[in-house]
Amino acid sequence: MRDRYSRKTLIWEVLLLLLAIAFCLPLYLLVSISLKPPQELFTSPLTFPTDLHFENFSRAWQARNSGGMASAMISSVIITVGSVATLIVIGSLSAYAIARRPGKLSATLYTLFVIGIIVPFQLTVLPLFVLFRSLGLIGTYLGMIILWVGILTPLTVFLYTGFVRTIPRDYEEAARMDGAGLVRTYVQVVFPLLRPITGTVAILTGLFIWNDFFASLIFLGGSGRETLPVAIYSFVGEYLTQWNLVFAAVVIALAPLLVFFLIAQKQMIRGFSGGIRG
Amino acid sequence: MASIHLKNVGKRYPDGNRAVIDLNLDIADGDFMVLVGPSGCGKTTALRMVAGLEEISEGEIHLGGELINDVEPGKRDIAMVFQNYALYPHMSVFENIAFPLLSQGVPRAERRDRVERTAAVLGISDMLDRKPRTLSGGQRQRVAMGRAIVREPQAFLMDEPLSNLDAKLRVQMRSEISRIQAELGITTIYVTHDQVEAMTMGTRIAVMRKGVLQQEGSPEVIYGQPANLFVAAFIGSPGMNFVTAELSRRGDDLVLGIGPQELVLPPKTLAQRPALLEHESGSIVIGIRPEHLSLPPTDNSAKLKATVERSEMLGAERLLHVSISAKPVSADEIMEAAEEVSAAAPAMLQDGSKGDEVALIARIDPSIVPQPGSTVELGVGLDRLHFFDLESGRAVL
Repeated sequence: MRDRYSRKTLIWEVLLLLLAIAFCLPLYLLVSISLKPPQELFTSPLTFPTDLHFENFSRAWQARNSGGMASAMISSVIITVGSVATLIVIGSLSAYAIARRPGKLSATLYTLFVIGIIVPFQLTVLPLFVLFRSLGLIGTYLGMIILWVGILTPLTVFLYTGFVRTIPRDYEEAARMDGAGLVRTYVQVVFPLLRPITGTVAILTGLFIWNDFFASLIFLGGSGRETLPVAIYSFVGEYLTQWNLVFAAVVIALAPLLVFFLIAQKQMIRGFSGGIRG
Repeated sequence: MASIHLKNVGKRYPDGNRAVIDLNLDIADGDFMVLVGPSGCGKTTALRMVAGLEEISEGEIHLGGELINDVEPGKRDIAMVFQNYALYPHMSVFENIAFPLLSQGVPRAERRDRVERTAAVLGISDMLDRKPRTLSGGQRQRVAMGRAIVREPQAFLMDEPLSNLDAKLRVQMRSEISRIQAELGITTIYVTHDQVEAMTMGTRIAVMRKGVLQQEGSPEVIYGQPANLFVAAFIGSPGMNFVTAELSRRGDDLVLGIGPQELVLPPKTLAQRPALLEHESGSIVIGIRPEHLSLPPTDNSAKLKATVERSEMLGAERLLHVSISAKPVSADEIMEAAEEVSAAAPAMLQDGSKGDEVALIARIDPSIVPQPGSTVELGVGLDRLHFFDLESGRAVL
């Protein structure tokens, strides 16, 4: 048998390894700077820290900017979890109806949702701000959840609709034959089948909301309910910026997301590639 | 358990396409009715109308004497086994089988008891905790059966449940399904395009084509007395041989002219099929099952000279491909039925039967090995001949 590990394979492997290192570099810089003392930051920014200053994390956590990291973490969790959960419920139900009840109404709604993905959020900020202010939703968690659900429902519906269309109708028909009503069919049969795309939606929208700075600054600014990106930004001063603390705060902000990604990555990849295994 | 009656049932789609036309079927309590026909013949649509998954455009469907046209599928007390089983992938085997009971609100203890009993009947008791994706095709098939059986419904509907299995497993599951159905005695409608499945499993068979019921009856009747060219060509493997013949009268005898050869029909043929008289001095299609062509000819059979093309050794029998000089039949019905056997079959039929040559297949003793190119005399069982009208394709009786 011919040796399949050829010189070409080796070159490919080296290239891919270099590419992987290039992707890991920002993460390395983030972690290494977050562990450095301020002096070392400017003298040797790219090297690994000589002493590991773990106290940077506690200092960043205890800093009192914008209500503090703990409060910002709570805000981020409430807004992200609330929005993502609502998006999953509304998005999956809407997509199910669109995919399973073909007709002019479904087609029109689907087109509207797709247009919703295209419209840039920044265009809608001003009228939304005025509307939210008149409704008393500025500076509230509910307001932020409504905002994110509104902004991300089109993308969610788009993703779910594509996936629902790949699910054979046999499952629903079998459930109907088995005497299950519409609600039982959806809750016990259809929704569990959507798990891969639900993972994808949760990660995509969760990342977007968790990392957002712009909307949080505008709709939550000064309320004491700012999210993590806004709280981190408050480390950046006009005359003095403690970059090591900024990086430590970013690492703290990143941690929950990383854990979630590690748990859900398998579902997410299946959601992207489509289909379910019988 | 209940009888099922379909009365003038039709399915018309919004684009005007008619999938099922004026279907009348009486399925008695405990019957195993097989709907068979080529793809697109309307058999699955008919089944889905009985299930309630497809709206009925015309006619009435009765289950146990009760009109069920507008009854929800889940309330019809009918269980269905789907072609790809439709097992819920996120549920264990136990949960899959228990699902219909859960929907019916059966208490937990009874649910467990009934699922375990059903699993024991199907021999899947040790798989109850497994997920469907860890099961083989045959095991999945059993779970799907279990989900249908556990409800103890009035009727079973099965939509080509064996089509995803390999040939060996299909044979095994065929007898398994028949056994379970016979044991439970539940009225069953079974859809398949495989005529072997239809013949081996059904207590009754309904052959469909282009949405129209062609013939309904016991496997023996369908095989032995096909109502038309399509049924004759579709049922049987290898299929019936067809050849165009000239029917004439010589004295008191009826004579079939097959190319340059002649077969004198016994007097009782006319008594059995008086309608043959209408075709006197005209063309008619005759059909001969491969097993009714013998080599060497039996003492009392008529003889037909043929040229050997090739032979296929199948172990217990040999299929002898011969050609005779005669006018071939290329009716749509035969081509469509042949296509169902294999996509290449119509072309092969036409290849073998071109101009004034007709290809025939005889089922003979495997110890006889005729040489290709040689001329043989085949015995023809005249009392087993089938006659069909050339225009309408209907059997001449």
